Amino acid sequence: MLFLQSLISGLLTGGVYALAGIGMSLVFGVMNVSNFAHGDLMMLGMYMAYFVFTLLHIDPYISLVLVMPAAFVFGYGLEKMFINRVIHHPHQNQILLTIGLGLIMSNTALLAFTSDPRILTTSYSSSSFNILRDVSVSVPLLLSFMITCVITATLYLFLGKSRTGMALRATSQNREAAQLMGINVSRMSAIAFGIGTALAATAGALIAPTYYIHPLAGHSFLLKSFTICVLGGLGSVVGATVGGLIIGVIEAMSSTYISTDWKDVVVFVLFLAVLLFRPQGLFGKKGGQ
Amino acid sequence: MKKAILSMIVAALPLLPLSSEAAGPVKIGFINSITGKEAQIGENLTNGAAMAVEDMTAKGFSVTVIKEDDGGDPKNALAAYEKLVTRDNVIGVVGPYTSGSANVVASRADQYNVPLLVPAAAKEEITRKGYKNVFRLNAPADVYSLVLMKAVAQYKPKTIAYVYAATDFGVSTVKTAQDNAVSMGLKEVANEKYQQGQPDYRATLAKVKAANPDLVFLVSYDADAILLMRQAKEIGLAPKAFLGAGAGYTTAQFAQQKDISNLVVSATQWTDDVNWPGAADFAKRYKAKFAKEPSYHAACAYEAMRIMIETSSKAGNASAVQQKLKSGSWNGIMGPVKFADYNGFNNQNNHPMLVQQLQGGKYETVYPAQFSKAKLVYPFKR
Repeated sequence: MLFLQSLISGLLTGGVYALAGIGMSLVFGVMNVSNFAHGDLMMLGMYMAYFVFTLLHIDPYISLVLVMPAAFVFGYGLEKMFINRVIHHPHQNQILLTIGLGLIMSNTALLAFTSDPRILTTSYSSSSFNILRDVSVSVPLLLSFMITCVITATLYLFLGKSRTGMALRATSQNREAAQLMGINVSRMSAIAFGIGTALAATAGALIAPTYYIHPLAGHSFLLKSFTICVLGGLGSVVGATVGGLIIGVIEAMSSTYISTDWKDVVVFVLFLAVLLFRPQGLFGKKGGQ
Repeated sequence: MKKAILSMIVAALPLLPLSSEAAGPVKIGFINSITGKEAQIGENLTNGAAMAVEDMTAKGFSVTVIKEDDGGDPKNALAAYEKLVTRDNVIGVVGPYTSGSANVVASRADQYNVPLLVPAAAKEEITRKGYKNVFRLNAPADVYSLVLMKAVAQYKPKTIAYVYAATDFGVSTVKTAQDNAVSMGLKEVANEKYQQGQPDYRATLAKVKAANPDLVFLVSYDADAILLMRQAKEIGLAPKAFLGAGAGYTTAQFAQQKDISNLVVSATQWTDDVNWPGAADFAKRYKAKFAKEPSYHAACAYEAMRIMIETSSKAGNASAVQQKLKSGSWNGIMGPVKFADYNGFNNQNNHPMLVQQLQGGKYETVYPAQFSKAKLVYPFKR
């Protein structure tokens, strides 16, 4: 029973981690930029969902139709204004830039929204149903998991079948060759960053009804997203999906069978092991970075 | 000898300005965290103290309060205290708010011989080191767990589980709780320390549920309390009582989450429905003035400031203030106040902490019986 309970809550939480991880991985794949503002973009998604809910009275899950496009436009603009200036620079410049952008976002949020945590309470925030005897499934978490599945499937289709998706993959595989084939790579970068931002904001909005909303809430997810990306293989969308689920389950299992205090230790030991034995990540390209 | 002369000079210093302007108002200092990380709680203290000054002025006391900000930093608190006693020549100081600041300032109070009245800092050491000039109004940290367990002792629970944040306050509160549990004959069935800010505590709570404890003892801050109780409801964790020792279980925000917070028991220094003289009236006036519910910090600051104003007006100099604080007794919105020496504490008010339970979205005082109107609902039910 306990095993099944941990497995289910681990998988469901892992789904949201995966969504955050995919956004980061996509940006890295296409642009070769590690986005350290990812957690803060998630935080913006949380506040967007919160204000859409409290001011417009729209359910946080339905609010995604507003949050996603808004976040895409924001990310697209961010890339055009700042990120593309460092795209050919060394990694440390890119990291400094994205950390700086993240700091500006979180501190602006601190000024604007104060440091009081906000709680988004919907009618189903703490409801659950039982499968079997004694194994409960959280309704909001299950909803977010299903939405994550739909979004991830749509993303696969988009990357696999659509023209823009193929151009994105081509840019990801070889930027120079793609450019020679007539693909507008700088536009692709902006689109990738826009999608990455939209996915981060979506992950934030999805977790908002079960978490609390705070200007610094993104920071704990940044580290997780990064771990997920590296675990799955930087740039691999499949890898990030699987990585997210793995981390979710491991966290749940280690708090059940070892100790809550030790779950981060278990996650990072595993992370180090992957780096040692499979430095390219579980689904990474061999000989990649 | 040198020290004695020095202290005599220091003690005499406050007398000088008084002799020249005999009829002038007495000067007292107030150190608080007006800016910085603790500013949110500091605001409650500021408001409480301001109300005390207003009330006492209306009663005819003539007093000048010099306010200093420590920004939550012990270094600044000490500098503020030194400035107050050497430059402003105050004869008594109320504050500082945080345990860290209060502990540092307390260590210097005997050197300057100007009494310090700590309104709301919980660290036990502050009044454990035998300082002559340090007084504390609120109950120290170990009383939190003690009073919670006393409140449920009559129902004879057998097992207890701990779920708490991995912070100084969390770890030390659980340590005293464990000592109390042993003396009550409670068996520990789970002990889960967590890192704050995680989105998912379900696995932890499922494990606690599997151990089937009678009592679940929690120490959490802010929104973690709401998260834990939400997920406890999902998982179906329903012990005979949830005991919340930390700040997260005593906020208005927590009370608003009626479907998860109902019947949770928590410990506090003060409530607005306690039958101490003036408490209800204070709450009403505070709400009207600041459009906010008063926290226990506000009540502590009010009472500390009131006592200091009354004492210093009668005393006239620092050493007389010390004597009058030591010998006096009061009865106001914080109940009976007397600075006594007991159990290794010096000049510590043996403040009876209160146990409150959320009943229908309202905090009701349920223990000790002589201070409460409502009754504890036990066992807990959804």
